[in-house]
Amino acid sequence: MSMAAGEPWASLLGAAHTLITVCDSAVIVYFVAINTSYLVLILIALGEFVRTLRRAPFAGHDEAATSPFTPPVSVIMPAHNEAAGIVEAVRAMLLLSYPEFEVVVVDDGSTDGTLDALRDAFDLAEVEYVVPDDVPVRGRVTSVRLPRGGPVRLVVARKDNGGKADALNVGINLARYPLLCMVDADSILDSQALLAVVKPFCDDPLRVVASGGVVGLANGCTVVAGRVAEARVPPDLLGRVQVVEYLRAFLLGRTGWSKLGSLLIIAGAFGLFRKDAVVAAGGMDPDCIGEDAELVIRLHKHMREQGRDYRIVFVAEPISWSEAPSNLKVLARQRRRWHRGLTEILLKHRRMIGNPRYGRIGLLALPFYVVFELLAPLVELAGLVLVPLGVLIGAVNADFLWRFLFAAYAYAIVVSMVSVGVEEYAFHRFTRWRDVWGALVGVVVENIGYRQLTAWWRLRGMWDALRRAPQVWGAMTRAGFDSPGQVKESGGDRV
Amino acid sequence: MIPTSLVSAALLGLLAVVLAQSLLIVGNRFVRRHRQRRRERIAAPVRGPLLQLLCAEEDEQTELLYRLAEIDRRTWVALEPTLTALLGKVAGGAHTALVRLYELRGAAVDAVADLSSRSAARRGRAAQVLGQLCHRPAAPSLCRLLADHDPEVRLAAARALGRCGGPESVPYLLESLHGPRTVPPGAVTMALVSLGPEVQRSVAAGLEHPEPLARAVTIEVLGATGVVSHASEIARALREDPQIEVRIKAARALGRLGMPDGLEPLLAAVRPGGPVALRMVGAGALGSLGAVAATGPLAKLLGDPDPHVAAAAARALLQLGPEGRAALRAAADDRSGGPAAAQARAALAESAVGGARHDVRAEVAL
Repeated sequence: MSMAAGEPWASLLGAAHTLITVCDSAVIVYFVAINTSYLVLILIALGEFVRTLRRAPFAGHDEAATSPFTPPVSVIMPAHNEAAGIVEAVRAMLLLSYPEFEVVVVDDGSTDGTLDALRDAFDLAEVEYVVPDDVPVRGRVTSVRLPRGGPVRLVVARKDNGGKADALNVGINLARYPLLCMVDADSILDSQALLAVVKPFCDDPLRVVASGGVVGLANGCTVVAGRVAEARVPPDLLGRVQVVEYLRAFLLGRTGWSKLGSLLIIAGAFGLFRKDAVVAAGGMDPDCIGEDAELVIRLHKHMREQGRDYRIVFVAEPISWSEAPSNLKVLARQRRRWHRGLTEILLKHRRMIGNPRYGRIGLLALPFYVVFELLAPLVELAGLVLVPLGVLIGAVNADFLWRFLFAAYAYAIVVSMVSVGVEEYAFHRFTRWRDVWGALVGVVVENIGYRQLTAWWRLRGMWDALRRAPQVWGAMTRAGFDSPGQVKESGGDRV
Repeated sequence: MIPTSLVSAALLGLLAVVLAQSLLIVGNRFVRRHRQRRRERIAAPVRGPLLQLLCAEEDEQTELLYRLAEIDRRTWVALEPTLTALLGKVAGGAHTALVRLYELRGAAVDAVADLSSRSAARRGRAAQVLGQLCHRPAAPSLCRLLADHDPEVRLAAARALGRCGGPESVPYLLESLHGPRTVPPGAVTMALVSLGPEVQRSVAAGLEHPEPLARAVTIEVLGATGVVSHASEIARALREDPQIEVRIKAARALGRLGMPDGLEPLLAAVRPGGPVALRMVGAGALGSLGAVAATGPLAKLLGDPDPHVAAAAARALLQLGPEGRAALRAAADDRSGGPAAAQARAALAESAVGGARHDVRAEVAL
């Protein structure tokens, strides 16, 4: 009897044992694959940097800065409750080195006096204005203001609150130049930023429809008159980890994807687009939290469905800076939002995934994002549960496990260190030794605790998207910039 | 299952890589800083004479030039990045002095030799240097480089030809706009404009070019350089060219040239039913032309169903002076309150604050 009663349990335990063994093996394979894919992207990016550096002497930046044939740009800056830093941000934008451009600020129903600050600083006068309807908008434009006296190339529109994407759509309608540069109100651009990001459009005007600029971390940097005068690695651990993360994922990862012709994300903090392409694609999607990436995917979709020969590229030069969260609460909100955005985008464009009609986007980039970005937190957290469980039930050898864990983390550290090394070789923006040490500390710490925390936040973001929770933009904590001084407070959550 | 020994080996290997990377990062930083300091130390004694050369009067330059030209190769290599940067920034006598210094050092000869290097980076740098030196004898080689297999080298060659080319370079530049190895139209346009008035006869030959992009660039160059003698041919292009992009360029050029020949074809171009981009640019060009006769047709366009055309017309009316403003005021006072009145009021309001946005841009995607 006892034998008969024990048999189902034994077979159940056996099945669980097998299942956990398989899952653990899958987690191991996944961990190796994800880090190898990052490494491949980083090495591709390194090749691109070497090429760019060798060609820098004849890149023609000086000519572009003075040529009357450099395409004019409308810089669109959506702002919501940005009174603390908006004036300095707009001033810095107006002082960019570029032959012809305008700055279009769209105040998205601010309640903190953003518009008043702009009005006082730039002597704005309200004018009657006919706003074209190139792309649909939800929030009503209540006023348009221009600076008295004329020479300042600035337009300020005030609209009912409708979210960042809707504000960008109003900016698109107000823009009169063929290229649109979308920047966050808290973005700090280098003075040559527009020249750098417009270069692909000048070099290949018939095919390039969008280009993205690198976004670096402004935390800890010395900011003078709205420009980063000296790049620094922030002194706090969270900042250091994010510097490494930004280098690996945003600078090198996106450069690699761009080289593969499969760039899916251009940061909302700094991207340049052809206006006709954006209008043809329908503008920004106000229902999507990750509107920047969503636009890029929609551009890919539109261009491929039209059979157009096109390029979406990434400019591998550090030219734009943005505040990153400096406390866990804001970071959690940011990562939750990012992953929610990614989930929504991939769900919205699910028919493109694995679809040969969309070429590399459908067959390479989107499946990669599903497997190694969307599902990463799920696998990582599952690994955290299943691997110890495997040890408990004897499915995984404990001796093997600790060795493997060390090897896996060493591999992740190698990948991140390559990122730091590539930055040091190609750009060496961090001039002090302590910045290098800080980044190396960040490399080590990133894999111990930080990744697991972000995995949890990202999982919650995915859940938010799946249950269609109400979109919450969250309060932005900003203190503006001292001049000269350092970025003090952070809350930026759009990169 | 992966053998434990393999994992252990991988772990050891990875730790070794981590160590090697750390050393590489630190070593790279040391070497870079050392090189930089060494370069600065070597170049320091000649920086003074270099500054003197840049500030000297022409008759005082010769001695300094020969002194600098005789510096050893190590010093020259250390100084060269500074010289290259200065070459692109200074003008007048200082630029001439730098060019002479480069020539005395044989840099132009070296650069010409590098034009046929196997390395694309060397070819591109050589083209850049020759352009900066305005080295006219290199123009034929640079023309050949317009068909280089590397797109960035072709671009560098086009820019260089803009500085050191002549009429004989024009056909090559126009030909580089089409075929399997092209140069972007913006670079060709800039090069042709930089070549100045003496090449405009050769440029005008491009008006009959079979390639639409070449015709469009030709027209843009003629418009930008104010070659009024070809206004009638540009007007014909606006009327008859089968390519919309060429017509858009022609409309803009006619506005810039400001010749009466442009009025009639521009008025025809803005009539309803035509392509929106052409009508927008045409309306803007009528404003630039400043012909009062355009007031009526432009006033009619204020009510155009396309808001971009209507806005362009409103701003063009502002440029026509009192007659245009009167037409705008009349439209603004229209009690029916249609879109024409709104456009007119918007243009007048912009003008009142001094912020009128006159220039009209439309996509030209050849």
